Amino acid sequence: MRAFRKGYLRVALQSIRMARTRSFMTMLGIIIGIVSVVVIVAVSEGIKQQVGNQVSRYGKDVILVRPTAAGEVAGVGLSAAGSPFAAADMTMIKQVQGVLTAVPIATIQGSVKGDKTVDSPLVIATAPELETVLNQKIDYGGFFTAADAGRAAVLGSDMVAKMYTDDAPLGQNFTFRGHDFMVSGVYKPFLATAFSLEANYNNAVFIPYDVAQSMLGTPPAIQEVFVKVAPGKDVQKVATQVHEKLVQAHGGTDDVVTIISGSKSLAKNPTLSLLTRMIVITALVALIVGGVGIMNMMLVSVTERIHEIGLRKAVGATNKQILRQFMTEAAVLCGMGAVLGFVIALASIGCMAVFTTLEPVIIWPVAIGMPFVAFATGVLFGTIPALKAARMDPIEALRHE
Amino acid sequence: MPLIELKDVSKLYGFGDATSVALDEVSLTIEKGECIAVMGPSGSGKSTLMNMIGLLDHPTHGDYHFGGKRVSRLSTNRRAKIRRDQIGFIFQSFNLLGRLTVLENASLPLIYKGHSTHSRHMKARAMLERVGLHDRCYYYPRQLSGGQMQCVAIARALVNEPKVIIADEPTGNLDTESSRLVMELLSEIHKAGNTIVFVTHNPELTRYATRVVYMQDGMIKHDEKTKLGQVGAYVHSIMYSLPQTTADDDLAGVSALMKARGESEALPPARKVTKKKTKSPRRSIKRKAKK
Repeated sequence: MRAFRKGYLRVALQSIRMARTRSFMTMLGIIIGIVSVVVIVAVSEGIKQQVGNQVSRYGKDVILVRPTAAGEVAGVGLSAAGSPFAAADMTMIKQVQGVLTAVPIATIQGSVKGDKTVDSPLVIATAPELETVLNQKIDYGGFFTAADAGRAAVLGSDMVAKMYTDDAPLGQNFTFRGHDFMVSGVYKPFLATAFSLEANYNNAVFIPYDVAQSMLGTPPAIQEVFVKVAPGKDVQKVATQVHEKLVQAHGGTDDVVTIISGSKSLAKNPTLSLLTRMIVITALVALIVGGVGIMNMMLVSVTERIHEIGLRKAVGATNKQILRQFMTEAAVLCGMGAVLGFVIALASIGCMAVFTTLEPVIIWPVAIGMPFVAFATGVLFGTIPALKAARMDPIEALRHE
Repeated sequence: MPLIELKDVSKLYGFGDATSVALDEVSLTIEKGECIAVMGPSGSGKSTLMNMIGLLDHPTHGDYHFGGKRVSRLSTNRRAKIRRDQIGFIFQSFNLLGRLTVLENASLPLIYKGHSTHSRHMKARAMLERVGLHDRCYYYPRQLSGGQMQCVAIARALVNEPKVIIADEPTGNLDTESSRLVMELLSEIHKAGNTIVFVTHNPELTRYATRVVYMQDGMIKHDEKTKLGQVGAYVHSIMYSLPQTTADDDLAGVSALMKARGESEALPPARKVTKKKTKSPRRSIKRKAKK
């Protein structure tokens, strides 16, 4: 506010307006620095979440319960080793305080025959509550419900083409182990799980657990349980309790793991984070270059206005006042650059999200902090020319033309 | 108490063999309300003296009292503040800032005093009215004539209500008509009670002065009181009486210039005489001041 009152700001704006092109070029340094850092961080974060984030397909309040030392098989991905859970385990998990629902995941072998036959599909017997646990929408149709006494099934998006000639096989039938099922819904494609060991749900056929049980005669072995925590409950606490109960039930052998989906969400991919760090360092260098640009610009500005500085000093400006004038100018320049950089960064992230397959995630501390860092850099570098201006001898300066 | 009192003030530039003397033990006392014309050939130290009086420069040796306060050893910032509050500058090349309007130019010194924009512009407007340019407030300097620009500079010099106005060749870049305009303005300001020190090369302009100081080689060679409207006697003798050559000189090949040189080389004794002359009136002033 003081700068406003004393007219420094106006003088600064005036001199920036006088050298429009030069000022913009200088700002460009700052802008590029900010945009590159913010965009790169956003894109790499997006890639991280897209590629490495195995658990994002589940809701945040979901606990995964698996047998220990479950050797995961690529492609199918579900635990092949370890002792699967019994039906008794399921009821026990459901009784733990804070558990909203527990959803069993059991794979069943066998071929599926629709219009075409698929030999080794991923058939998953599960409960209707799976819909609330998974972070994915049904493309069309609906998930089977408990009321569906019939043999409704839900398909993963890739299965449609594998089983049917029709694009939308809603209501069509298929045969699995000699039993007829009807397609009640199709999932939207799940996120690409290229580097993930997770099962590819796009290739899955979901059938009701009860139906599978009556079909096989025995309850199918449960490889995995998704536990949804009641709202407002401490997920960590519930996970611990579930774990303790299961160990107790298994006679004290610690043969289960509980994974909280939120805690695993930022997959630590060392290559990716190293790359990100490298790029961020490069961008920071760009920022420093921007700062040097500001310094250069200010030096030119000072040299250009030596005469003016002389006059201002002659009519009574103190060193401090001249310093403040040029600092204000540097600050205004950097401030404009910072704001522009922020806006352009957000705009380009938005464009990327819309026009490319990338899904950048804006990291707000970086997006907001970066312009401030840029501002500080610029002002810091602007100090040197400002000091030069302030220390000028008025007589020498006045003689300069 | 004199407003300005220089005592044996010297200004040296450079070191050792390369030392050049811009001011050589100059002593000068200026009372409030005087209008002093400083004359002399270029390089005689006029501008250095102006810078010294205007506190833009500090003496190498000697003492300077401004308004009874010793200012010769003040820090840069203190001097800036005295300039801001008590001294107005007018320059030969106007020194207006082209990017600012007339009004902003005139109010420039007040920025550093911390006035609000409103009060700054009020005062500047009043001063522009005084110099007759209040209808040009929102013009830019490049849209004005030379004379008008200098008038804006005068308004700027007046806006902080200074105790002394220092003008280094205020008419140096102006034609006769504009010169007259500017000098009339300065003379009005003087009549209103301001103290003015101005440098000029035009002897006619000493008519506006109450005192004429003639400088040469960094020293004050002559210092005399004149009446308003009259050209100083000494200046008149120097500027209006060109040395003449006789037939003998022509035969000997001596030009008027060489003759003039010869005279100036024989000046030292003459200077002593003038010094004596100058001292007496100044003493009388001091006596008056004491009374």
